[in-house]
Amino acid sequence: MKRLTTVVALGAVTALALTGCAKKSGDDTAASSGGKTTVRVLISGDTNVQDLWDKGIVPGFEKANPNIAVTVELDLHGEHDSQNLAKMAAAVKGNSDSGMDLIDGGFVLQAAQAGFLAPADPSTVPGLSDVPGDIIKAGGGGGIPYRGSSVLLAYNSTKVAKPPQTLDTLLAWIKANKGQFTYNSPKSGGSGASFVTTVLDKYLSPADQQTLRTGYDQALESTWDKGFAELKSLNQYVYQGGVYPNGNAQVLQLLSAGSITMAPVWSDQFISGQKTGQIPATIKATQISDPSFTGGAAYLGIPKNSPNKAAALKLASYALTPAVQNVIATTIAGYPVIPLAKLPAQTQEIFKAAHPDTLRPTYFSQVTNDMNKAWDDKVPGK
Amino acid sequence: MRRTRVAARSSGQPRAVLGFVMALPPLLLIAVFAGLPIVLAVGYSLGHTGGLNSVTASYAQHQHVATSGWGTFAAYREMLATGRFRTDVAVTVLVTLLSTAVVLVLALGIALNLRLRGGRVAGAIAALGVIPLFIPVVIASWAILTFYSTDGFIRSVFAQVGLDAPALGFKVVTIVIGSVWTSLPFAVLMVSSGIQSVPDAVIDAARDSGAGLLRTTRSVILPMAFIPIVIATTFTAIGVLGSFTVPYFTGPNSPRMLGVDIQNYFAAYNQPQQAIVIAVTIFVLASGIAVLYIWANFRSANSKDL
Repeated sequence: MKRLTTVVALGAVTALALTGCAKKSGDDTAASSGGKTTVRVLISGDTNVQDLWDKGIVPGFEKANPNIAVTVELDLHGEHDSQNLAKMAAAVKGNSDSGMDLIDGGFVLQAAQAGFLAPADPSTVPGLSDVPGDIIKAGGGGGIPYRGSSVLLAYNSTKVAKPPQTLDTLLAWIKANKGQFTYNSPKSGGSGASFVTTVLDKYLSPADQQTLRTGYDQALESTWDKGFAELKSLNQYVYQGGVYPNGNAQVLQLLSAGSITMAPVWSDQFISGQKTGQIPATIKATQISDPSFTGGAAYLGIPKNSPNKAAALKLASYALTPAVQNVIATTIAGYPVIPLAKLPAQTQEIFKAAHPDTLRPTYFSQVTNDMNKAWDDKVPGK
Repeated sequence: MRRTRVAARSSGQPRAVLGFVMALPPLLLIAVFAGLPIVLAVGYSLGHTGGLNSVTASYAQHQHVATSGWGTFAAYREMLATGRFRTDVAVTVLVTLLSTAVVLVLALGIALNLRLRGGRVAGAIAALGVIPLFIPVVIASWAILTFYSTDGFIRSVFAQVGLDAPALGFKVVTIVIGSVWTSLPFAVLMVSSGIQSVPDAVIDAARDSGAGLLRTTRSVILPMAFIPIVIATTFTAIGVLGSFTVPYFTGPNSPRMLGVDIQNYFAAYNQPQQAIVIAVTIFVLASGIAVLYIWANFRSANSKDL
């Protein structure tokens, strides 16, 4: 009897706690006031992205749409990605307000995959008509690509006069120069992930690569074996006999300090690092071919039950206008996702060598998760 | 006889109820904020993907879904079958044992030095041992990594005289160094306060009866400070066992400690179910250490009764 009472009491308290939460999130729906709609943007990334929104995108949008206000919230380095994704998942499933109308961050792809996002195509986001279909498709149906970046091969020009031009010559260079190359573990940053993807792709047919980029096919992942064997064989030639740092920044630091001579780096991090002087001018970057390093787009997402969906879609489309794309290119060195020809000649000049229009996409997000694990299991310390 | 017993019972009942009611708020709080999530998580690891777990289950990869009523051990079997996981468990246990042993030896040394020799130098050493308490672990880990790395202080000093010191960054040894560094302050505080509280008279009496330094320490001081030493040991071991920051920053990519594994499985591999399996493993290991702690507490409670 006593036990039963305890269980009932527990149940009552749990129910109370849950209804308490539900009520609170219900109250938040009153985001629009006085006929003015507010779009709440959540950024998961670095302060440079926040600057881009605060200074480059929001003022122009609010001017063009006087009845829409935009608030921007930053989750620095995406530390709360999992919580925010769970929050959105719970809100979409329970049809309550998640507190975010437009998300700019890595977990957008996961949310798109799980079906939490409003579908995005040229009919809902007119700006997407200028964006290559492959990149839109990689967004999983709900992701809106709005800027891109790719991985480049950075090298210390005081030690290397002629950098490798193809993947094969790069691999040969790594083996000939023991301890002078490294890349970060693929899970900890995109530049290392790109190097791994590129080596794996070397042994894959174009059709198989395409399948892994646009969807999840676990059976096809067995074709990675040769690539992983190649990566494993590099262990002894990598920095300190197989040290793979955690994060893009650690690799850049090793390169800038002269501990290593060559490494894959993100184009935008490299360009802005040289601007601030954190990366010395003697470090240069180039793109390789056969295959080239991958690049990818950053995606925006709109929860499908967002109360301010119409305004959020409008803002997303605005981010794809040539004016904003030019701001993205000039402020954070992001690749435009619309054709370069639509941008001012000066911007076209900067990006001419990087070929942002031929961005070789990375794997689908779930495939990338599996690749991260497979690399951890098969490469370091083996 | 019977009547008195009934009387005692009726007067005891409201008291017991009152006690239960008074204990209810903290109990409920723990049940809702710790108990419920634990039950949910363990249920999820056994393949129960419905109900409150359905949100996580909707985006997780490689889940094992329960087919029978109580669940399935498939996720546990999958993890135990990977050689990687077994190595990681072994490394975690090794680092925990090594770090705890080193911390205990250092803390005992500092405390005994302070108790038996005393003076300004001993005090300064004890104070130095506590300093890491005031430095955030992230910063400490980073500092330790750069101190021992290829272009770090140690190697730079050796290079000045033409010697080649080993680069200790990104090694299991670095994790042990970092763990010792971060765990030492608590152990020093705990052990030295325990040893300081051994009365002078007892030590003098032991010395008067002809016991040497070693004998006094072994037979008098250590037994009298036994409880604080056990507490320091268990807390250090449990702390190192579940640590994340130090192994994440300073350790190698492989093998890894379980704390880092949890984060990887949860975030980078998007396999929350497997992450919970690791969490349960850490919980089981920590329970083993906790038994020692509870046993020591019982021992001290009993000895107070005597």
